[in-house]
Amino acid sequence: MKKRRAYSAAAVLSVGALALSACSSGNGGGGGSSNPSGGSTTAASTAKVQTITVGTAADSVGPAPAVAGAKKGGTAIDLEPAGINHLDPAEAYVNQEQVIGQLFSRQLTNYKIDPTTGKTTLVGDLATDTGTSSDGGKTWTFHLKDGLKWQDGTAITSDQVKYGIERLFSSFETAGPQYLQQWLTGQSDFRKVYGGPQGGKSLPDSVLATPDDKTIVFHFKTPHADAPYAMALSGSGPILKAKDTGPKYDTAPFSDGPYVVSSYKPGKALELTRNKYWDAKTDPIRGAFPDKWDIQLGVEQPGLTQRLEQQSGSDKDAVSLVQSADPTQMSVLAASQYKSRLESNYQPFVDVFNINVSRIKNVKVRQAIIYAFPMQQVQTALGGPQQGELGTNLIGPTVSGFKPSDPYGKLTKPLGDPEKAKELLKEAGVKNLHLSFAYSNSGQRWANVATTLKNSFAKAGITLDAKAIDPTAYYTLIGKTNNPYDLYRTGWGSDWPNASTVIPPTQDGRLVADDDPNYSHLNDPKVNSEIDRISKITDLTQQAAEWQTLAETIMKTDAPEIPYLYDKYYNVYGDGLGGISYNSAYGTINPNTIYVK
Amino acid sequence: MTSPSKAAAESAGSLTLDPEGGNPDSGQKRAAELVGRSPRQLAWIRFKRDKVGMLCAVVVAGFVLIAIFAPLIVKLYGQNAYSLYGQDDGLLNAYGLPIKPNGGIDGTHWFGIEPHLGRDVFALLIYGIRTSLGVALCVTILSVLLGVTVGLVQGYIGGRTDYFVGRASDLMMSFPQQLFFIAFTPVILSLFVKPGDNEPTYLRFTALVLVQFVLGWMSLGRLVRAQVLSLREREYIEAAKLSGASSSRIIRKELLPNLWTTILVQSTLLVPVNVTAEAGLSFLGVGMQQPTPDWGLMFQDAAANYQSDLTYMFFPGIAMVIFVVAFNLLGDSVRDALDPKTIR
Amino acid sequence: MLRFLTRRVLGAAVILVLISLVTYLLFFALPSDPALLSCGKNCTPSNIAQIHKNLGLDKPIIVQWWDYLIGIFGGRHLPLGNCPAPCFGLSFNNQTPVWALLKDRYPTTLSLAIGGSFIFLVVGVGLGLVSAWKQGSVFDRAASSVSLLGQSVQIYFIGPLAIYLLSYKLGWLNRGQDPSWGAHPGSSLTGLVLPCLVMSVIFWSNYSRQTRSLMVEQLSEEHVRTARAKGMGSRYVFLRYALRGAMGPIITIFGIDLGSVFGGAIITEATFGLHGLGNLAVSAVTQQDLPLEMGVMLIGATSIVIFNIIVDACYALIDPRIRLA
Repeated sequence: MKKRRAYSAAAVLSVGALALSACSSGNGGGGGSSNPSGGSTTAASTAKVQTITVGTAADSVGPAPAVAGAKKGGTAIDLEPAGINHLDPAEAYVNQEQVIGQLFSRQLTNYKIDPTTGKTTLVGDLATDTGTSSDGGKTWTFHLKDGLKWQDGTAITSDQVKYGIERLFSSFETAGPQYLQQWLTGQSDFRKVYGGPQGGKSLPDSVLATPDDKTIVFHFKTPHADAPYAMALSGSGPILKAKDTGPKYDTAPFSDGPYVVSSYKPGKALELTRNKYWDAKTDPIRGAFPDKWDIQLGVEQPGLTQRLEQQSGSDKDAVSLVQSADPTQMSVLAASQYKSRLESNYQPFVDVFNINVSRIKNVKVRQAIIYAFPMQQVQTALGGPQQGELGTNLIGPTVSGFKPSDPYGKLTKPLGDPEKAKELLKEAGVKNLHLSFAYSNSGQRWANVATTLKNSFAKAGITLDAKAIDPTAYYTLIGKTNNPYDLYRTGWGSDWPNASTVIPPTQDGRLVADDDPNYSHLNDPKVNSEIDRISKITDLTQQAAEWQTLAETIMKTDAPEIPYLYDKYYNVYGDGLGGISYNSAYGTINPNTIYVK
Repeated sequence: MTSPSKAAAESAGSLTLDPEGGNPDSGQKRAAELVGRSPRQLAWIRFKRDKVGMLCAVVVAGFVLIAIFAPLIVKLYGQNAYSLYGQDDGLLNAYGLPIKPNGGIDGTHWFGIEPHLGRDVFALLIYGIRTSLGVALCVTILSVLLGVTVGLVQGYIGGRTDYFVGRASDLMMSFPQQLFFIAFTPVILSLFVKPGDNEPTYLRFTALVLVQFVLGWMSLGRLVRAQVLSLREREYIEAAKLSGASSSRIIRKELLPNLWTTILVQSTLLVPVNVTAEAGLSFLGVGMQQPTPDWGLMFQDAAANYQSDLTYMFFPGIAMVIFVVAFNLLGDSVRDALDPKTIR
Repeated sequence: MLRFLTRRVLGAAVILVLISLVTYLLFFALPSDPALLSCGKNCTPSNIAQIHKNLGLDKPIIVQWWDYLIGIFGGRHLPLGNCPAPCFGLSFNNQTPVWALLKDRYPTTLSLAIGGSFIFLVVGVGLGLVSAWKQGSVFDRAASSVSLLGQSVQIYFIGPLAIYLLSYKLGWLNRGQDPSWGAHPGSSLTGLVLPCLVMSVIFWSNYSRQTRSLMVEQLSEEHVRTARAKGMGSRYVFLRYALRGAMGPIITIFGIDLGSVFGGAIITEATFGLHGLGNLAVSAVTQQDLPLEMGVMLIGATSIVIFNIIVDACYALIDPRIRLA
């Protein structure tokens, strides 16, 4: 999953969650907040579902598709509410790190986005295509393009890619995705097998081979049909050994993308200027129109949104790649003057309330809770409909195979169905149900939600004890398998648009452990065996459909979570920018088509 | 940063400390001989003559009464501080903002309703006084008790005790205050509540009182110490000592009565400092939590929504200004009444 | 004087060491694990153990603290990289030396502190002097009322109001922006005007009230009256004698205020979205970045301690009656 960058103080994202989504004010900025917010179902939904397809070798040929009216030059400004934790591509897991990282690092594959239609295709980035598999999906071969160079002119070769992959095993690379490491070693504790290239040791050819300068072959322990997607993760690219500064790489990466890091002040500013050795002809993804990216970090909300609204001075060339508008600004942005420069689209995050299955064992009770849950009021308490749409599926709309499903009729009764809940509780023989609800007290939003929930659950005869947890301790506490809470919120986003990065990590009962993302502790043998079966399917379309079916079944028969919101990106950008498009795999604005007018 | 009113409290002390400032008691004593009234009576007479002081005393008393009778007032008013009127009665638009102009002010909700949750602002404000004033009073009482005790002990015993206690208070004074508050409120909370247990409101209240109290007693302690040091050398104390009075008697009967001026003035000035500090903590997100009504939380909410609902900000804002002005002026009047030498 | 300074500096050093110890111990009293912020989605026991090792959290707390303290002077070699002296550790969050972060943020804090304190000192003391000079005049009364009001408002109230009115509605002033004096001196200046003004409002009222009452008091002092009786010009007496007598307490307050302002104005920075030490402090606390929290705490405490010493030294210079005992 991909984490969403939380906004400043509150932030503290840990464990995978979609950060606390919000806000903060921990920092005093005011009860501000950020991310998802909800709204009523009547809200005009401008978001469109984008199906991401896997492209061909022809799609992978550079240069990037032309953008109408685009011209080179100028400085584009990106306003980010928080700092960037990692510039080292191997450490990038938050969508902010991934999307900004695209500007100075390249991967084997990546997402090519058509600026006019928004059609998103996975294509070869450094590789000539999205890879060819053999050995039943266990072996994957990639060929590098010609003319690829580092920022000092050194040619990019396959052994550098191998070094980059080996470097993922290093002791200091702890924050990034671990798919490749685990697939190559077949171990979750992969450092036991191989501890990184620092000691001069290398992965054997039987695991990762470079038969020639242009070819790299991955030998996974089990079949992985979505390997092409895994190669789009930020860490799946080359590292030049001579420029590898170890942990320091995290603040000063060496570029093979269109821009180089010319200055970086953590938490404050990142400046990217052109890399003269980058060749547009090799790159099907990046248009790289502006001469410079001025990335301003730690711009607090709601000031960030207000700057974009006012677009005074250089702010007319500003955009926030990652951050949605502050919920307090929704009414302002409704004015018609902003319509022409507003972007609204789904993000890969689904917000859920976990029901702790190890405490609430009776499925009828869990279903009663789902019925009683006041989706729309929670959405309203969080801000407005623009930032998140009511959703009832464990898999979000950006994931392939997504089909709307609503087994509990939540969308027809978004305020909750207390009668139905009472009925189910009666059937279950439960009286005076007390639920303990844990929330992170990062600013007012979740406290507001708690107040709202308390009110609505009372109507179904359920007493809610809301327990505020300090934001820094939230994930530590709810991450414990023996935690004393019945209900707590987390968020989850796909790492790539396949539910293989959603359902197995969050629903596989064999993984339940402290800090594991299966926060509801569901352990249903039927679900577990389904996960094993579907993971082996090599046809991605079929796999996607099966994940969707499984997700529906889980909701119907196990009811371990209450999915309630599909997060959206919703914000304005400056008039001085053109070619705005959206990357639905990351849930961010796509910087690669942006130009300064 | 320190809130300026804090510096005010400290500097007010330095006035009395001024070597040339004279001893508050001597003037009063002489006056007492002439007219035959006790210093306390004199002070009261002076205070009654001070119109501003009386007005402020009335305002302050008003705030205290409102805090005490909040439930009654709210009952008469007809709206409470916890119901989500905005959501339940459809007074909020899709953005969670009051539909009616001026923050939703109308005949039912006199001060409007808050954005998003839609609780009644008037009721929140009334109940908010309870929280803010409650925390501030507790902090003040504790700080004064400890400050006076420490100051007395330091000044009276002197020597090594004085030295070490003095260095301890130096240490406390060197902590950056706000940073200390935001960093250690969670720590204090976690000491009381086992992670995962429910956190009752009174605990957060206690934690807030404690964290402010820890850094709140030193300035008064220093003032008291300095006064005791100078009083200790007076003849009448010497005389009491020679006549065999016990230490506790000397402290109670000879020293304390001479410290009342400082203690009273300082306590009056400390209350508004603590009220604003408490609100600041809640504003920064480490103070009281929803749904407890609290001024700081109202500021936090209002500061986030000022662009779309400016009205909301004025209620806690103006209430706070009136409150602090009244207390500051009252402090000045109390000082004038007790210590006529200081002309303002 | 030298003896005084030596003693005070030594005392200050002890205080700073103790503060660092308290901060360290209290940090570990929290139930949460900072490693959870660095493990992303992969919070497996082995990954968390690895992070503990990388951050040095696997050692006993007291050893960690001692290493930290020694590192400030000697520099350290940490698992995640070198940290040259003065080493305040590497930020848990982005492995940058904390010292570099502090150096990067200090200009903002410094600009805010200098700009703000200049305004509040000049305006505050100036108003106070004029009020004392023209006691009982309309000006005096107006100034007193305004000061009283100023003293009673809070940044979190007037800050947003000022932004709304002066920046958002009228567009007169920049809403607040970090200065970068080298690159953009112009916008650095305009970006600081609003925060400095707002910050100074709540400070200067205190100065004007104090100055006024101190001056009034001084003017009734015997030596001042004597001077006047001797026939010295009243303006000369006012400035030469009375002002000198009133300086002491003013400097005390100024020292206290400066100490805290230089340590980072958390609420002001939060209100105006500035990136100084206050902002760094908040992110250190919320992201459980212990080395950063230590760094900010120490910088803040150091400025408080230093200004205390300066105040005491100035006091002696101004008022010869006070010996530096």
